[in-house]
Amino acid sequence: MRIKRQSLAFLGALTAAVTIAVALESVTVADQASGQGAARPRTAAQAPASRPTAPTPAARGTGKIPRTPWGAPDLQGIWNTNTLVPLERPREFGTRAFMTQEEHAKALADLQQRNERPGRDSRTVAGQPAVGTEKDVARAYNEFWFGDKPTKLSMRTSMITDPADGRVPPYTPEATRRMADKREFLAALLQGTSGGKPGPISPRRADRSPDYNLDRINRSDNPEDRGGPERCFGSDVPVTMGTGTFGGVMQLVQAPDSVSIYYDVGQGSGFAWVIPITNRPHLPKNIQLYRGDAIGRWEGDTLVVDVTNFSDETNFRGSRENLHLIQRFKRVDADTLSVEFTAEDPTTWTRPWTAIQELEKADEKTTLVLEGGCHEGNYGLLGMMLNTRAAEQAFKEGKGPDPATQDNATGGGAEN
Amino acid sequence: MRRGLKGSTVLLGAFGAIALLSLAVIAGQAPAPRAAAASQVKRQANGKPDFSGIWQANNTANWDLVTHEALPARVMQPGVHALAPVPAAPVLALGAVGGVPPGMGVVEGDVIPYTPAALQKKKDNYEHWLDRDPEIKCYQPGVPRAMYMPYPFQILQGTNKIMMVFEYANAQRTIHLDQVEPYPNDSWMGHSVGHWEGDTLVVDVTSQIDKTWFDRAGDFHSDALHVVERYTPMTPDAIRYEATITDPAVFMRPWKIAMPLYRRLEPNVQLMDYRCIEMVEELLYGNLRKQPLVRKWEGQTMTVSVERRIPPPDILYER
Repeated sequence: MRIKRQSLAFLGALTAAVTIAVALESVTVADQASGQGAARPRTAAQAPASRPTAPTPAARGTGKIPRTPWGAPDLQGIWNTNTLVPLERPREFGTRAFMTQEEHAKALADLQQRNERPGRDSRTVAGQPAVGTEKDVARAYNEFWFGDKPTKLSMRTSMITDPADGRVPPYTPEATRRMADKREFLAALLQGTSGGKPGPISPRRADRSPDYNLDRINRSDNPEDRGGPERCFGSDVPVTMGTGTFGGVMQLVQAPDSVSIYYDVGQGSGFAWVIPITNRPHLPKNIQLYRGDAIGRWEGDTLVVDVTNFSDETNFRGSRENLHLIQRFKRVDADTLSVEFTAEDPTTWTRPWTAIQELEKADEKTTLVLEGGCHEGNYGLLGMMLNTRAAEQAFKEGKGPDPATQDNATGGGAEN
Repeated sequence: MRRGLKGSTVLLGAFGAIALLSLAVIAGQAPAPRAAAASQVKRQANGKPDFSGIWQANNTANWDLVTHEALPARVMQPGVHALAPVPAAPVLALGAVGGVPPGMGVVEGDVIPYTPAALQKKKDNYEHWLDRDPEIKCYQPGVPRAMYMPYPFQILQGTNKIMMVFEYANAQRTIHLDQVEPYPNDSWMGHSVGHWEGDTLVVDVTSQIDKTWFDRAGDFHSDALHVVERYTPMTPDAIRYEATITDPAVFMRPWKIAMPLYRRLEPNVQLMDYRCIEMVEELLYGNLRKQPLVRKWEGQTMTVSVERRIPPPDILYER
């Protein structure tokens, strides 16, 4: 059958772990962000776990690449990845872009060990284990939807190839301040709950968010309080695909004058992204598009896409309307599509940075790209609003706790 | 035939009287002007028409598939005369902008062959349009409605798949020209499998959810809906679009719609965002805010008051 779900028993036989896996989860946070949305199981087919680890890029790119009937490199297909690479390089690797065999074996063992204990939140809350808190319950719930764990690990130590330390460059003072403001706001809404600092309910609880909120915040006064994924806004570009059943899959269809990618990512928040191949100028600066104004051109066999005109209602790692993205799509060989992006935003990062992801060709007969029906089936947002109103009413009648003292924002495993 | 005559008329203007004679001879010799236009159609390397580009229908089918007169508003209430109902409160302030444009039908025979029970439901849908039309809630429109909504859409014709991306709601569909597994569930935009019959792309659309509509007139279907679409080049810049609709749970027999789809010829045409998901949050969730937001609008000649309600659970959850 097309839907191959590795059994829990098989997962249980694996073992689990630390640095790499921690880093990897932070990569997929944006897509996996919330537990209350219109979650549904991902059913993208899995490559067998026995598939060998991808060779280093040096060994690739030697064969002839498939071409379209009109002579362009053929980027088409259904692409995903089953190989784990953290976005940022764990610091112990320094400037080394690839692991040694021994390091790889150790990291894989760690990953398998970590996979063995799904479903519990291992963090502490105010010095106490999180077991039994709202956090822990939310994690257990989400674990089901996250599906199969990744079981393969790249030799690459990070997706980020530039700067040399493989890490997102430091934020500018302006961005640091922006983020601190938002963190303070998020913390204020959590104060006095099991997921926040001890103390009374913060007087800031009714404040406006300092930015156009897309994060999970501990409030459901308005739909705008809920995170972007819960509101079915889909992922922002650039998309870095996660691994495992929840990691996402993309379908690329190519015509001579345009390329379109359907990203089936997140919790039913799939979206179509059209890249015209043209030499027209970008839109006027005041026009904002949620996935930017993409203009593609061929440089040799690489499709280079320049993306500007982002929106202040999008958020790529702290970068909003000033994001400038250059994406490079390159068919490396029959089974590999290299997707690289360079992100620059002088109001956010102190320098541009570049990351690469090597996507694997999925079997098109068995890997289905499913329609996102997030908004149409968004009982999650409806439920959060409705239930919070009901909880407020119950509290007023002395029948339950004050919803303001409950943590509905930090659970679910997305923040590990 | 009529189309052929029109083509001749245009050519007449361009070529002048002398051309008349030779043109008449050509027409008499069989290759119709339609075929001549089709020969200029952009083609792929395999000789098949290349439909890639940005297209849009230019009709009022999304208001009502069958021939309809103009209306002062889509939501009305009785007036002082039986023949003159007046716009109802939700749309009154929009005046002439809120009216329904008239239009010729796109249904063959101009009748949708509902079963008697289904016709009742269509009428009921018409009366409760504002509460029910999935377009109002920014739901994906399904097929064929996506093809004639008043927004552009882009066709990307790849080698074994054709993707259509719609400006409205960023909806999309993929037409598989290759062999794929059947879709495991019902979906909003359905599962499309295509093949070529000469210059015509024939697309079989199944697995559609029962919640999409055909238009703003309450025309509906069940999850037994089966749509067969035919895309045939008319000129380099127009496609003849046909869809045969079969749904034994709702219609007594299959029925057909047909219309041209026009290429958008503006040199700077591109798909932009119509992210209505965010636009309809106040409509869908505003009644659940802690503090109501939209309560009253005041203009020079009128005040519109809004009272939000939370409907009973069965309606709330089956929006």
